[in-house]
Amino acid sequence: MIMSGIIMPQFTIQEQHLLPNLCWMPMPNQMRIEIFRPDVSPAEARGGWLTSMLVCVALSLFTGLARAVAAPVLDLTKLPAAATRKVDFVKDIQPIFEKSCQSCHGAEKQKGSYRLDSMETAFKGGENYTPAIQPTNSAGSPLIHLVAGLVADMKMPQKGDPLSAEQIGLLRAWIDQGAIWPHDPKSVKPLHWALKPVQRLPMPEVMLGKTKISNPIDAFIATKLAEKKLSHAPVADRRTFIRRIYLVMHGLPPTPEEVKQFVNDTRPDAVDKLIDRVLASARYGERWARHWLDVARYAESNGFETNHERANAYHYRDYVIQSLNGDKPYDQFIKEQIAGDAFGSDAGTGFLVAGAYDIVKSPDINLTLMQRQDELADIVNTTGTAFLGLTLGCARCHDHKFDPILQKDYYAVQAVFAGVNFAERPMRRKQSEEREKELAALQAELTAKESALATFKQKAAAAKSGGAPGKLLRPAINARLNEEIFAPVEATAVRFTILASSGQPGIDELEIYDGQGANVALASAGTKPTASGTLAGHPIHQLEHLNDGQTGNSKSWISDTAGRGWVQLNFPAKKQIQRIVWSRDRNGAFADRVATDYRIEAALEPGKWTEIASSKDHESGGASDPNGFLKHLTGADAKIARDLQEQIRLGRAQTTKISDGQRAWIGTFSQPRPTHRLYRGDPMQQREVVAPGAVTALGSLGLALDEPEQQRRVKLAEWIANPKNPLTARVMVNRIWHYIFGTGLVDTPSDFGANGSQPLNPALLDWLADEFVQSGWSVKHVQKLILLSRTFGQSAAPRPEGMAVDADARLLWRFPPRRLEAESIRDCILAASGALDLRMGGPGFTLQRKEADNVDRYFPKEKFTTNEFRRMVYLTRIRQEQDSVFGAFDCPSGNQVMPRRSRSNTPLQALNLFNSNFVLEQAGFLATRLRREASEDAGEQVTRAFQLMVGREPDPFERKESIAVIRDLGLDAFCRALYNTSEFLFVF
Amino acid sequence: MALPERIHPFLNRRAFLSHSATALSAMALTQLLGRDGLLAAETARKSPIRPKIDPANPNAVRQPHFAARAKQVLMIFSAGGCSHLDTFDYKPELIKRHGQPMPGGDKLVTFQGAQGALNKSPWEFRPRGKCGKMVSDLVPRLGDLADEMCFIHSLKGKTNTHGPGENFMNTGFTLDGFPSMGAWTTYALGSANDNLPAYVAIPDPRGVPQSAGNCWNPGFLPAAFQGTDFNAIKPLRNLARPAGISPEKDRATREFIARLNQHHLAGYPGDTELAARISSYELAANMQLSVPEVSDISTEPAHVLKMYGADATGNRTQEIKAGYARNCILARRLIEKGVRFVQLLNGAYQVGGEGTSNWDGHKVLKSQYTVHGEVLDQPTAALLSDLKQRGLLKDTLVVWCTEFGRMPTFQAGASGRDHNPSGFTGWLAGAGVKAPFSFGATDDFGYKAVEKVATVYDFHATILQILGLDHERLSFYHNGIERRLTDVHGEVIKEVLAA
Repeated sequence: MIMSGIIMPQFTIQEQHLLPNLCWMPMPNQMRIEIFRPDVSPAEARGGWLTSMLVCVALSLFTGLARAVAAPVLDLTKLPAAATRKVDFVKDIQPIFEKSCQSCHGAEKQKGSYRLDSMETAFKGGENYTPAIQPTNSAGSPLIHLVAGLVADMKMPQKGDPLSAEQIGLLRAWIDQGAIWPHDPKSVKPLHWALKPVQRLPMPEVMLGKTKISNPIDAFIATKLAEKKLSHAPVADRRTFIRRIYLVMHGLPPTPEEVKQFVNDTRPDAVDKLIDRVLASARYGERWARHWLDVARYAESNGFETNHERANAYHYRDYVIQSLNGDKPYDQFIKEQIAGDAFGSDAGTGFLVAGAYDIVKSPDINLTLMQRQDELADIVNTTGTAFLGLTLGCARCHDHKFDPILQKDYYAVQAVFAGVNFAERPMRRKQSEEREKELAALQAELTAKESALATFKQKAAAAKSGGAPGKLLRPAINARLNEEIFAPVEATAVRFTILASSGQPGIDELEIYDGQGANVALASAGTKPTASGTLAGHPIHQLEHLNDGQTGNSKSWISDTAGRGWVQLNFPAKKQIQRIVWSRDRNGAFADRVATDYRIEAALEPGKWTEIASSKDHESGGASDPNGFLKHLTGADAKIARDLQEQIRLGRAQTTKISDGQRAWIGTFSQPRPTHRLYRGDPMQQREVVAPGAVTALGSLGLALDEPEQQRRVKLAEWIANPKNPLTARVMVNRIWHYIFGTGLVDTPSDFGANGSQPLNPALLDWLADEFVQSGWSVKHVQKLILLSRTFGQSAAPRPEGMAVDADARLLWRFPPRRLEAESIRDCILAASGALDLRMGGPGFTLQRKEADNVDRYFPKEKFTTNEFRRMVYLTRIRQEQDSVFGAFDCPSGNQVMPRRSRSNTPLQALNLFNSNFVLEQAGFLATRLRREASEDAGEQVTRAFQLMVGREPDPFERKESIAVIRDLGLDAFCRALYNTSEFLFVF
Repeated sequence: MALPERIHPFLNRRAFLSHSATALSAMALTQLLGRDGLLAAETARKSPIRPKIDPANPNAVRQPHFAARAKQVLMIFSAGGCSHLDTFDYKPELIKRHGQPMPGGDKLVTFQGAQGALNKSPWEFRPRGKCGKMVSDLVPRLGDLADEMCFIHSLKGKTNTHGPGENFMNTGFTLDGFPSMGAWTTYALGSANDNLPAYVAIPDPRGVPQSAGNCWNPGFLPAAFQGTDFNAIKPLRNLARPAGISPEKDRATREFIARLNQHHLAGYPGDTELAARISSYELAANMQLSVPEVSDISTEPAHVLKMYGADATGNRTQEIKAGYARNCILARRLIEKGVRFVQLLNGAYQVGGEGTSNWDGHKVLKSQYTVHGEVLDQPTAALLSDLKQRGLLKDTLVVWCTEFGRMPTFQAGASGRDHNPSGFTGWLAGAGVKAPFSFGATDDFGYKAVEKVATVYDFHATILQILGLDHERLSFYHNGIERRLTDVHGEVIKEVLAA
């Protein structure tokens, strides 16, 4: 048994009253077994307790010692005497708890984090006074002290009548008699459905008319329909079907040619072939990536007041699109998003840092700590809801009210992510042997050239000083670039101490190179910066900029003290270093704040510093020329030196290019400090240290307190992606169902806990989940099964018997029609007009003009170029700033996870579609297209327009009306109108 | 039928209709439970109330949980952190100890760092109104209305950074992405006027606050409850008939759409989501008439323009003031038309250095606040008086607030005040509010709220209470959590409610 946490002694009992101190620690694990694993009988579970009690007796020696040092003294003589009769919990004790205690310490409220409505919590105690009940020791039980008023100002209950002496006597007797809390069978919760193992039931035998249903999905659905005396609808016609499948799977309409081909395809496997074509198209990944990006709260700006754009966050979007298009096994998709750095796909970890991030930092520690807690909460919550359908975030301040998630579990998961930082890092390329060789050769060449250049510099210095030894000075310190070359030295930390500067000194980047030419100072390599202090109130001047690989004043560190300051870099492991490069402003815009007097030291062991470079051997003078030494060389030497310089510059650039991939907003990782449980989530109230882990009720990761950072995420990812995890597959197949039918089998797609919905069709959910895992976690496999079903292929037409009992068609007696999402509407408008630009991937387009300042502001564009006609998944989504036309269609902001979009219907949507420049311009393009593709004949134009927009011919009424409108109002007006029709905007 | 219960409030009109019966009986029950739902609070379990939304008319009027004291809200938000010490929180001790160090202040680390000495306000405080409330010369006209106001001097925030602070005051959460107070209000109550947006946010002439859209966004609530942002100079986007299209052609096109949609609807009899789309075009057409009408303040008589200061000219400050005054007139007109929630924004994001465009007076408080006071005072005071004289305060709750207050000290080496969320002032006026009244207090220097501390949650809970809404029950289910404006906190400040 492991004692969880340190017991904070709250009481000292006067020695003469010290009763045998039998410590009883409730066993949370055992309790959970009883509650969530019905395979363990209560008797076995109680056996577990007994063992724990014995261990506790042994440990009580320790706690007894601890108690002796604590403060307030209780006068136990004031305790009412214990009752002498045998006490019954249900008859005598429970009524007292219910009447006098549970209004503040029950399911609704937990004052002091204490609740008296379950044995576990009642015994364990709240934030203070733990353990609250010590069986056989009523005089030592805080519960008794508090109800008897022994603790000043804490007499319980604080509201209502105090307990009588008789009642207290009963409580004491109950405790002294062993505090037996019988197991009310009603109080033992059955295992929550979502936590039970997935169970694949055989497909039910159901008839549809006279045929036995052969598709398992249809069979499960038909069973539920039959309970309401309903059945599937007739099969939808082919043109409805192909339009539906395109809108659902691609978010785009089929072309008239595709419709025609499919409608005329008489092969028996025509539908099967169509589904394969649809799933193989790259449009599929773009459509379904948008769904996942909702779940991952992805947007491309930092949010909050500065709201700076994240110019290279798009790598994560591309990663999601490619993963879906390639039908990457979902378990791998999970692992890469949590620990892609370990699973060979760097871009995946964009998931972790896709949320909003407040870059405004302050010297105020309270603020900084809370910000960090919020950042981590964002990662924990999103991971919990996205993959597990568990609201882990609810346990940040207290144990989850509904689900078996302890507060400790929240912090265990937080510890998994505690080393994740919101930042960019270069995506590693796949290293090949060839590239390694190339790198080594380059480096050897560079080293030779550097030493040759050093010789010339010495020669120049000698020439300048007239050959006097000890006066070989390096060029004066400058703002743009300074280099320190020294004999290789092993170090775990480097410190740069500034002794003089103008104003508060600043450094935009401090680079430290090893013998292989790698910059080991980079935060992305795990190096952590610290500093004497950082100038407050300037988001652009942050300590993290010191080693973030970004240069220039707006990505720099500035000290909070005029003329002084130090920065220190701690490497994650011992490094051999030989060159340091630093600058005030690499971009050359600022020349103030340069460190003019400094020393650089390295340490292998903490505190043992050795100077490796300093300002002493520089020439004096401000704006010096790093190339100044050349003028002290002869013409021939100067030329060689200059060539060497250029070759070194190019060689270094080449090295970086070979070893680093592109930079991306995918987070950096560093070894975190220990994670503490925080009382009520307050970072100033740290409690016990918590090891990285998962949800105790569902298993353990077996990680140590100081587990290496990456390993934490790897283990959590593997635990989530384990086929035995009861939640993972269920949650994902339900999301697939949700995006196909508009509502999931569980209509709370990110909440499979007790507060979420029950599955509408549990057998079907489990069948799909099992099929998903068996298929090797193939998303496309599950989708194809669903798309092949009659349930998907049936008509959307309403039928009175269905409307009467199931108006929402939750049971799927028809395909439920629904309005398209914002992105699909925009994409469909572009597809119809012919303006759609299908370029995939890379940086997105913007629909807003940016005014960049300390705080960025965005204003809607009114004029568009073809770049803005790409699919909307490629829109650079700026937090807080909705697109001025399509935002009103319930487009998520990316600030919070959006597992299920609302579908509102508002006059603003109508105004945007009817009046916006965007739609009017597209209507013009559509008109041009109609003239081009259908001649000047209005009848032909109408036909072509209906084919393009709704995939069918117009009926006589529509034809007549349309021709009249084209005649009276013009083709542009006709096109503007069609963009506003229900059929165009809905999937049926 | 016993389908799983997590019907999305906005999913389907059919779902709406089938739920109406239960909603009605729940409403009747709550009405039986007394004016403030106190009985309900003490006896019944605080189960969530999720208003049932009719998709055909998402902003149809809905009943409050219990009898409301106010029906509409005018929220005035001063962005940047308006100093309570230079406006409404009179601290004689601060004046007396001007120039001395604040006890314990040398160790304080606030948002930008170290503190200098205590600094009295550059503006004198004088007794105002019949009640004699001490208000500074920075906002004298507002001071003259002290008899109408209920000051809460003990507000306490959670963050000293603008973005999270503005989020907190406007949405109840420091993080981005939560529904704004106006979104919650319209989600709960709808609006009496179909032809205008239920919730209008009027941006300052200088721009939007630092939390921008967060201040009026719907967060995860349906987009129907989004604040619509426009003012006299920035009209509602996509409202106007496009240039080059005649009114006749525009109307004929709209009629053609309606015919096609009606024709299509015939194939889906009884489909209310489709029917709702058709009616949204009618609402849009009404809005095209009524929004320009309400925004057109040229019909206001000259004496009204003058009263608000909308005629101010001469320099940049006066022009901003005139712009803000026009926004104030627009606010009154919207309230007059029955718009449920009007949010009037005062101050913008940071442009031209801190404190220039909003109340963020870190370094040169006096010169910057001279501008901000001039812009705020007369137009806002005129708005309040105008609402009163037109009898609109009977049903309208007026809320003035900011993201946090400022320090009683000047920042080390500067002539301005740093952020201070530990104690600041907001005020209420109008329907449902006890006035004149001052609730709670900061310490002798105005640094920390010490007497009857009111959290921002309490402030929000009280506003909802005045609207007849139980802040513990008004909820929306999102991503696994039954969300509330007040999260899991907040207590109604009963002392500030009108008797």
